[in-house]
Amino acid sequence: MEMQILKDAHATVVTITGRLDAVTAPEYEKRLNDLIAGEETGFVVDFEGLDYISSAGLRVLLATAKKLKVKGGQVRFANVRGTVKEVFDISGFGSIFQMDDSVAAALAKIA
Amino acid sequence: MITVEHLSKKFGELVVLKDISIEIKTGEVISIIGPSGTGKSTFLRCLNLLDQPSGGTIHVDGVNILDAKVDVPKIRQKMNMVFQSFNLFSHLTVLENLTIAPIKLRGMNRLDAEQKSRELLKLVGLAEKADNYPDELSGGQKQRVAIARCLAMEPEIILFDEPTSALDPTMVSEVLSVIRRLAKDGMTMAIVTHEMAFARDVSNRVLYMDEGLIYEEGTPEQIFENPQKEKTRAFINRVRSFNYQISSPDYDLYAMNAEIEAFCEKQILPRKTRDNLLLLVEELLQMYTPFLQTTLLDMTLSYSEKKESLELVLESAGETVNPLDTALLPDELGLNIIKSLTESIDYHCVDNKNRLTLMMKKN
Repeated sequence: MEMQILKDAHATVVTITGRLDAVTAPEYEKRLNDLIAGEETGFVVDFEGLDYISSAGLRVLLATAKKLKVKGGQVRFANVRGTVKEVFDISGFGSIFQMDDSVAAALAKIA
Repeated sequence: MITVEHLSKKFGELVVLKDISIEIKTGEVISIIGPSGTGKSTFLRCLNLLDQPSGGTIHVDGVNILDAKVDVPKIRQKMNMVFQSFNLFSHLTVLENLTIAPIKLRGMNRLDAEQKSRELLKLVGLAEKADNYPDELSGGQKQRVAIARCLAMEPEIILFDEPTSALDPTMVSEVLSVIRRLAKDGMTMAIVTHEMAFARDVSNRVLYMDEGLIYEEGTPEQIFENPQKEKTRAFINRVRSFNYQISSPDYDLYAMNAEIEAFCEKQILPRKTRDNLLLLVEELLQMYTPFLQTTLLDMTLSYSEKKESLELVLESAGETVNPLDTALLPDELGLNIIKSLTESIDYHCVDNKNRLTLMMKKN
């Protein structure tokens, strides 16, 4: 998995590519926790380049989102498609998280 | 007609036939199936004394053919053989290939032998090729000539050793239809074949050979619809398996994934099936992680080409526990994914081992 972090005017855009699985999920969790600890409150996670997600990946998405909520922040997910979307749907994540069709749409809603 | 008891055959240290006992009755059509290298052809060659058995007895119409005094050419006239590679005499015409043995071994006069041979060529649909040489024929035609040559000796039983294995697929049916016709006419036959549909269709009895034994035998319905033994089932359903052992919670997920992907590629499974399988395996291993400190996990993935089904079996020793028991799980995220990817999940404790069997959903 590769993570790219870009700061926009109103939010931090986290782009993840590759796999979010039992091996890579701890890295995602650590980097998001570091950002949250640094007082970042608005996040857009771009799933465009993510090919694979397992329950280990879902757990860290959920854990970091909860942490953010406690701090009054929010996260939106953009470009959740294909097999990743299927896993979201199986797990009911599609209704838990705020989803957008593009990063631009997500940023517009956070602003 | 033929009674074989405790037949064995060794080539040096290599034991090819361990202990074969069978009775073949007049009019029976027996197909012998099984993986390559399990002694099927050697069994036929022993019946015909092309290979000398190492042990056991073979009686043909009450005569012990392993007796040193037995007239072997006479036995071979009764029990003629058709080979995978035809074995025609290339310097003789088709007609001469058919007449040579009746003239030389049975003392038939040339005219009678030729007349009989032409009738047999007509029977196999090759009357017009009588004066051609084998090299001028297709593979299927050569094999039909070989069958006619075999019939020219008026055998009581014909042994077919993979009669279509050397043929182009387009020529298989012409040879099989000749064998079908012989079956219909009541000829006693033992056929080593990899043509499963043909074996099922033409035989009265099917022998599945494995490990140098007749591992299972029965009617075509029993063997093809309801095989009782594991290896027969795997062969009939064309099952390919992949085994992986995990002995530590720090297993290398990506190394294992690479092996699973290689297995899937070999079976030409669709990308979606492969992705679902990798996800299923990861979810299962997550649930087994707490137990991997103390126990070894044995994972077997089996793909049935015939049923197009994928089965995953996970076996672990240690305390009796179903790792999918919701009381043991931190949440149901993984379990929901597993359920969505499978059509059945079955847990059993067998021989002090926890066995979890999952059948994947088809795409």
